[in-house]
Amino acid sequence: MARDYAADILDPLARDVVNNVGVWVEKEVRPNASEFEHADAFPEPLLKGMSDMGLFGIKIPEQYGGLDLTFECYAGVCMELARGWMSLAGIINTHVLVGYAINEYGTAEQKQYYLPKLVEPEMRCALSITEPDAGSDAQAIKTTARRDGDDYIINGQKMWVTNGHRAGVYLVMTKTDPAAQPRHKGITAFLVPHDTPGFVKGKKFDKLGYKGVETTELSFEDARVPASAVLGGSEGSGFQHIMSALEVGRINVAARGVGVAQAAFDDAIRYAQKREAFGKPIFEHQAQQLRLAEMATKIRAARLLTFDAARKKDAGERSDLDAGMAKLFSTEIAQEVVLDSMRIHGGVAYGKELPLERYYRDAPLMIIAEGTSDIQKIVIARSLVRDYPV
Amino acid sequence: MNIIVCVKQIPDPETPAASFKVDEAAKKVIPAQGIAPVVNPYDPQATEAALRLKEADGGGKVTVISLGPDSARDAIKHALAMGADEGVLLNDPAFGDIDNFQTANALAKAIEKLGGADLVLMGRASADWDMGVVPTGVGQALNVPVVTVAKAIEKGGAGLKVERVLDDGFQSVEVALPAVVSVSNEFGEPRYPQLRQIMMAAKKTVQVWGAADLGLGADEVGAANRAMPLEALYVPKVESNVEIIEGDTPEEKAAVLAQKLRAAKLV
Ligand SMILES: Cc1cc2nc3c(=O)[nH]c(=O)nc-3n(C[C@H](O)[C@H](O)[C@H](O)COP(=O)(O)OP(=O)(O)OC[C@H]3O[C@@H](n4cnc5c(N)ncnc54)[C@H](O)[C@@H]3O)c2cc1C
Ligand SMILES: Cc1cc2nc3c(=O)[nH]c(=O)nc-3n(C[C@H](O)[C@H](O)[C@H](O)COP(=O)(O)OP(=O)(O)OC[C@H]3O[C@@H](n4cnc5c(N)ncnc54)[C@H](O)[C@@H]3O)c2cc1C
Repeated sequence: MARDYAADILDPLARDVVNNVGVWVEKEVRPNASEFEHADAFPEPLLKGMSDMGLFGIKIPEQYGGLDLTFECYAGVCMELARGWMSLAGIINTHVLVGYAINEYGTAEQKQYYLPKLVEPEMRCALSITEPDAGSDAQAIKTTARRDGDDYIINGQKMWVTNGHRAGVYLVMTKTDPAAQPRHKGITAFLVPHDTPGFVKGKKFDKLGYKGVETTELSFEDARVPASAVLGGSEGSGFQHIMSALEVGRINVAARGVGVAQAAFDDAIRYAQKREAFGKPIFEHQAQQLRLAEMATKIRAARLLTFDAARKKDAGERSDLDAGMAKLFSTEIAQEVVLDSMRIHGGVAYGKELPLERYYRDAPLMIIAEGTSDIQKIVIARSLVRDYPV
Repeated sequence: MNIIVCVKQIPDPETPAASFKVDEAAKKVIPAQGIAPVVNPYDPQATEAALRLKEADGGGKVTVISLGPDSARDAIKHALAMGADEGVLLNDPAFGDIDNFQTANALAKAIEKLGGADLVLMGRASADWDMGVVPTGVGQALNVPVVTVAKAIEKGGAGLKVERVLDDGFQSVEVALPAVVSVSNEFGEPRYPQLRQIMMAAKKTVQVWGAADLGLGADEVGAANRAMPLEALYVPKVESNVEIIEGDTPEEKAAVLAQKLRAAKLV
């Protein structure tokens, strides 16, 4: 049955886009996702569908052949993708985020070279910050980039890189000045093509969930890139550029939380009306009504927070506080809603026939990646004191 | 080739039975609360057929027409998002209570007003009333040949070569143009709209024509002028019984079952 996939979206065009993506998810993703997921298989046909629709160019400006749709629209699209399978919204995340960084901060040549390629399926992007000894504290990275004539030589180890094997270009956070104080002034981001000599793709992690898409190690062993690979052309701005792009990532992950929670709720409210216990549908037991009411309220609040953050970003306003709140809340409630949906399903929830077990394994990723919930709270608190000067 | 596709918006066929209600006195289906109407599932296949013919031709034009309420713009927009060029909505309070023949007549008038077409494509039936007579009615009103229930359409022969779906096989026919062809689900999956096409569709203006624009007088449309008056409308009561066939062996049970089926004149 057709439901309103574009609930709470204000812009009519965004509604049309999201509704169409919702129909695609319903027909192509939901019936097939668990099979790809259980096999941990890269969902090539689904990626083709996303690419045919034009989703990879969703945030690229029209002058480079993209669609330049709003963040509100992008958030709605990510909710729908995640309603089908969280991994799909993950594959598109670093791609959109790196495209955003190139468009906002890249040199004219970088934009001209990369952006048209990012619209087409030929090139996807990865973002590489995390290292064995630096995650939340990104400024503690140890990967270095040393100037050598017209080139830079990169050395270091990276961890947990989504799209790590299949990307065409990697936005890599390095230190060009490890002694700099404050530390972020020594951080520089590079656009590293996949076939750079000395750039080695390492092992793929075996994950609890978030399957299908590969998350890998990377290593740089005297990897040589030209100075023109520095994002924006000058050293020392990498931290700022990447943190700004991560706001786009937080909108994406917030939307993923909404999508996964929505999928778990949709199953629960239908099941509760069909399943009978003690002579009536379990929905008629007040305990279940209260549970479902809370689940729906949490999802609605998460949805509205996410669209609010996206609309602020569309309006060009500062949105770190809003994106942080949306990411924190959506991902935390996603876990709660998934577990509540399992309670409502009883024993069948624990089997692998239903997609619930997948939602249950996918949900915890979102409270960790793109900044843990603790880090979101720190971002929120810092913005709050900024807004309450004494 | 100049192609016109007729599309219709219908109540969602997947509306749960409990939400499906009719007003027996008014002889009308009551729209289900909170369940949005959808494009008739066969119609995107007709649009797909039109787009494939246009692409094979390397040119031409695809115009979509829908007769229905204001919300039927969504059905038109969907066809535009798939790639159709223009849309026309036939919308008039007088169209509220019309029958299939009046619908066919109004569509034919609109097609004439658009300057005619080389080919009119429609879904094989609409999934609400499921009668499948409007394509034939349009063909009659335009006085052109009609081929129904097509699973494949290509240019060639006398004009078009069409493969039709029969109960027990397929039938290949040729038809001269202009013609009306109704398209079946066997035609194949319609394409998903691309985001770029959705954006273009949002910018297109849909023309709206009323009965007067089509030259239809008050004596030609409306409930009073139905060629097929609606006598009664109700949700039939379905009763089912289960009977367990007894017997000691499978053979014995089968024999008892066969006797019962014969007694009930089912075999
Ligand atoms: C499947 C997956 C995909 C990923 N994809 C990518 C990717 O594409 N690119 C990339 O660069 N990274 C990626 N990551 C890494 C991810 O961003 C990090 O795991 C995350 O930022 C947390 O860092 P960490 O794992 O080092 O944990 P740590 O930073 O070691 O955190 C451990 C704990 O300490 C807490 N903590 C840390 N600092 C503070 C503080 N100041 N106050 C209070 N508590 C604190 C954290 O909240 C957490 O609870 C991915 C991770 C996963 C699991
Ligand atoms: C791995 C596994 C092993 C198992 N092993 C065994 C075994 O060895 N032997 C065996 O007999 N069973 C076994 N079970 C079954 C298990 O005991 C049942 O799944 C459990 O009792 C719940 O029953 P149900 O699945 O039918 O859920 P339901 O009874 O359908 O419950 C569905 C939901 O309705 C709620 N509900 C039901 N009644 C009410 C009410 N009156 N008021 C409010 N809410 C209500 C429930 O709390 C739940 O949220 C096993 C299950 C699993 C998953």
